Amino acid sequence: MKELLHLGLQLGGWSLVVLCIASLWIPKMLGWREKVAGLTPLMREVWWTYSCYIWGSHVFFAVLALGFPDWLTGRSPAAAAMSGFMLLWWSVRLWLQFFGYDLAEVATTPANRIAKHLLTLLFLSLVTLYSLLLAWNAGWIGTGEL
Amino acid sequence: MNPLLLETALRVAGLILAGLTLANFVAARRFAYRENLAASAVMVRQVFQVHCAYIVAIISALALLCLGWPGLLLDDGMGRVLSAFFGLFWLSRVIVQLSYYDRQTRRLNRGWDLFFLGVFLVLAAIFTLAALPR
Repeated sequence: MKELLHLGLQLGGWSLVVLCIASLWIPKMLGWREKVAGLTPLMREVWWTYSCYIWGSHVFFAVLALGFPDWLTGRSPAAAAMSGFMLLWWSVRLWLQFFGYDLAEVATTPANRIAKHLLTLLFLSLVTLYSLLLAWNAGWIGTGEL
Repeated sequence: MNPLLLETALRVAGLILAGLTLANFVAARRFAYRENLAASAVMVRQVFQVHCAYIVAIISALALLCLGWPGLLLDDGMGRVLSAFFGLFWLSRVIVQLSYYDRQTRRLNRGWDLFFLGVFLVLAAIFTLAALPR
């Protein structure tokens, strides 16, 4: 099971790297600069600042998954807490994907449709990965061979 | 630096972070987020609300960690990596405040501007010290 989780963390980590790189194009693809132009300067600045910090958090999650798989599968309370936090993070994002975001303003081009499905798949995979990781670290699933 | 002193400093950071969590809600009222976003595109409004919620989640989770388990942030390996990340997180927030935020808004709210600069600096210093090798 631990080997499987390590493989999952490698795949999840690299997927996050791809997400972080692809995210750099999101403002251009969705016309964020034009859309936030009508906000007050402070609101616009907070908007971009928060977006950058969320992006930075995703980079950090990628670093954790790729650089510290032993720690993340170490069955320590800290590893369980971190897995739980990331599970909550991606679960909320998955929920938003289906029920939160109103995508009516996004043009339904083939590229946007593919991007949306890929994102949904990524969030589903990350929720699965961190659920397993939390279950492992909490001792809910055993050490048996798969 | 003495680990006991660092633990105490991290608990103080936890209290500051709990205050910052609350400050996010006060700022939303003071700067009329809802009214300012009312006329904007749905996407802008939703992304802003979601990002605000995630930022509050990060800060409150960190507050909980600092108040309840400061020792975890001082552990070799992962603990120090976490501390380094948050040291960078708060140091970058100081730089953002000084170089990116609107000067006129800062001038009009000079007291709060200086207060939050101080808060971000203290947090950056505590987490950076926690990340340093001992």
